[in-house]
Amino acid sequence: MSILQSPIIKISLRHLFAKKRQTIVAMLGVMFGIAVFIFQAGLMSGFQMTFIEQTVNTTANIRLYNEANKNRPSILSQIDSLKGRLLFVRNQKPKDEQPKIRNGKQIIDILEKDKNVSGVSPFLGSQAIFKMGIAQMSGRVSGVDIVKENILFNVQKNNTHGNILKLQTIPNGIILGEGLADMLGAKMGDNINVISPAGVTLEMKVVGINRSGITEVDKTRAYINLRNAQKLLRVDGSYITDINIKLKDINVAGDLAEDYNEKFGYKALDWREANANIFGIFKIQNMITYLVIISILIVSGFGIFNILMMIIYEKMPDIAILKAVGYKDRDIVKIFLTESLLIGIVGGLLGLLLGFTMQQVVGSIKMDVKGFVSMEYLRFNSSPLFFIFAYVFALIVTAIAGYIPARKASKIDAIDIIRSK
Amino acid sequence: MTTVKNIIETKNLNKFFHDPVEFQALKGVNVSVKQGEFAAIVGASGSGKSTLLYVLSTLDTDYTGNIYFDGDNLSLQSKDQLAAIRNEKIGFVFQFHYLLPEFTVLENVAMPAIKLGRYSQEQIDDLAMEKLKMLGLEDQAYKRANKLSGGQQQRVAIARALINDPKIIMGDEPTGNLDSKNSEIVFDILKELKEKYNQSILIVTHDMNFANKTDRIITLRDGEVQNQ
Ligand SMILES: Nc1ncnc2c1ncn2[C@@H]1O[C@H](COP(=O)(O)OP(=O)(O)O)[C@@H](O)[C@H]1O
Ligand SMILES: [Mg+2]
Repeated sequence: MSILQSPIIKISLRHLFAKKRQTIVAMLGVMFGIAVFIFQAGLMSGFQMTFIEQTVNTTANIRLYNEANKNRPSILSQIDSLKGRLLFVRNQKPKDEQPKIRNGKQIIDILEKDKNVSGVSPFLGSQAIFKMGIAQMSGRVSGVDIVKENILFNVQKNNTHGNILKLQTIPNGIILGEGLADMLGAKMGDNINVISPAGVTLEMKVVGINRSGITEVDKTRAYINLRNAQKLLRVDGSYITDINIKLKDINVAGDLAEDYNEKFGYKALDWREANANIFGIFKIQNMITYLVIISILIVSGFGIFNILMMIIYEKMPDIAILKAVGYKDRDIVKIFLTESLLIGIVGGLLGLLLGFTMQQVVGSIKMDVKGFVSMEYLRFNSSPLFFIFAYVFALIVTAIAGYIPARKASKIDAIDIIRSK
Repeated sequence: MTTVKNIIETKNLNKFFHDPVEFQALKGVNVSVKQGEFAAIVGASGSGKSTLLYVLSTLDTDYTGNIYFDGDNLSLQSKDQLAAIRNEKIGFVFQFHYLLPEFTVLENVAMPAIKLGRYSQEQIDDLAMEKLKMLGLEDQAYKRANKLSGGQQQRVAIARALINDPKIIMGDEPTGNLDSKNSEIVFDILKELKEKYNQSILIVTHDMNFANKTDRIITLRDGEVQNQ
C-alpha cells in the first residue's frame, strides 16, 4: 500500500482541503516564522562575520604594551607610616599618555626570530588635532613603520588613494582615514597641520587615503612615520608604546600572550580578549534572533493547535465511525498528527524558500551601508545550519501543537457521539 | 443432529450508569445469537436496547459479566484487540448513516477493508464495488457520500458493514430514520443476506412490523430480558 493510499494520509489531506483557508493561514504562520528567522539570522551572522573579519584585521593578534599606570596605587598608600589605615584619594587620574616600552628594539628583535610570529610592528600613538584652513578635527595619529604595519594590517589594500611607501620616501607624509579626509576636505597632495597635546605642530602632506571599513576608525585615524610621531610627542628615537604582533596561527594567541607577558614583563593582550565586549554583544544579538523565531513559531503553533481543534470538533462523527469500524486510538492520533505535520512540512519548506529568496534579493541590492562597519552590499550568512535549525524547530513545534489535539481526538468516546445525534 | 453454534452470547451482563445518578441499564442479561440467525431486539424507549447493542459491539467496555464472541471472551481483550475484532468480525449500521462526507461512496465502503489490510487496494475496490452492486448502488460509487439520499446512504452503510465479511451485522434502529418504502428495502436486503449467505444479524428496532419478520425477537424491559 503506497503512502498516498494510506487512509490516514488520505483522511488528513481531505480534512485539510475541506478547511483550505485555515490551513493556508496556519501554513503562512509557519512560513513567515521560518523566513523571518532565516533572513534575520543570516543578516545578523553575515554582519558579525564582516565585523569580525574587519575588526580582527585591524586588531593585532597580540598587542604588547605597558600598563603600569593603569590602577596604579596612590602615592599615599606607599608611605609606610600610613599602612593599615583607611585611605581615600579622590579623583585619582591615570596619566594621559601610555608609558613607553623600554628596550623595545630588543623585544622586537627577539619576536622577529620567534617561529610563531609572522610580523612585528612598533607603534607610537598620540591624540592630535588636524587642521586645514579653517577646518579642524581631532583624532589620533598612529606612528608606525609602514612596511611592518602593512604586513600586519594590509594597509595598502585598504588604501583608496596613494601608495603607502610614500610615508617612507616623503619625510612629512601622512595617510588620512577616509572619513577624516572628507571632514577636513583634504585631497591627495594637500598640506595639513597636525598639532599634538605636547604643543608641537607639524606641517604634513597627504600622501594616501585609507578605508579600513570600520567607520569610527576611518573618521579619526591617520598614519604617520614613527619618527614624526616621536617628534610630535617630544620624545627620543627609541620611544614606542606598543608592539603589535601577527601570528602564523591566530588560535594560539591566548597562550602566547601569556608567555610574552611573563617573558617581557609587559601586558600582552590577544585579539579575542581585546574584542571580548563585541563577542559579548554578538551573543546577545544571537539570543534575540533565536527568541524571535521561537516566539513566532510558538504563535504559529497555537494557530495549528486551533485549526486542529476546530477540525476535530467538526469531525467528531467521523472519528466515531472510524473507531466503530475498527480504527485504533493510535490511528486517530496519526490522522491529526499527520495534519499538523503536513502544515509544518509544507509551510516550513515554503518558509525556507522565502527566507533564502529574501536573502538573495536583499543581498543583491547595492546599499553602501555606513554604520558600525561600512559595506556595499548587505552580507548574509546562508549557512545550512540556520535552515536546518529553523526547519527542525518548526517541525518540533508543529508536532507538539498537533499531538495535543490528536490525543484528545483519540480519546473521544464513540458511543457518546453515536448516541447524541 | 448438529447443534448450531452461538456467534455471540452473554452471561449475566450488567451495566450501570453513574451520571447523573446511579442507574442500572442492563440487569443480568443473558442473550445469544446463533450462526445464521436474524434476531431483533425490541422494547420501549429507554429499555436499554441501544445500551445492550453497544456493549455487544465492543464499543462499550464498561460492564460486568461476560460476552463470548466467536469463541473469545471479550472482557479479556485489550482495547486494540477489540478494535481489531470490530474491524474484522462486526459490521455496524447506525440509525444515522454516518458516512465520511469528504469521501466517495466507494471509499466509504472500502474504509474498513483498508484498515484490515488483507487485500490490495485494487482488490478492495473490486470488493467494495461488488458490495455496492449487491445493494443496487454501483452507479453511485464515485459520488461523494453526502450527495446521496438518506435511504441510499443507509444502504452504503450496509455495504460498508459487509466489506470485511463479518461474523455478525449489528444495527441500532437502521430503519428508524427512513420512510416505509426505504425501510422495506433495507429489511429485504438484510433478509437476503441471511438467506443467501447465512449472515448472522442482530438489529435493534422499535418497529414491530420489522421485528415480526425476523427469526427471533428479544424483548427488553427496564434492562431485563422478557423473552427470547
Ligand atoms: N450515557 C448515559 N448516561 C446515563 N444514562 C444513560 C446513558 N445512556 C443511556 N442512559 C439511560 O439508559 C437507559 C437505556 O437507554 P438506551 O439504551 O438508549 O435505551 P433504548 O435504546 O432502548 O431507547 C435510559 O434510561 C437512558 O436514559
Ligand atoms: Mg436506542
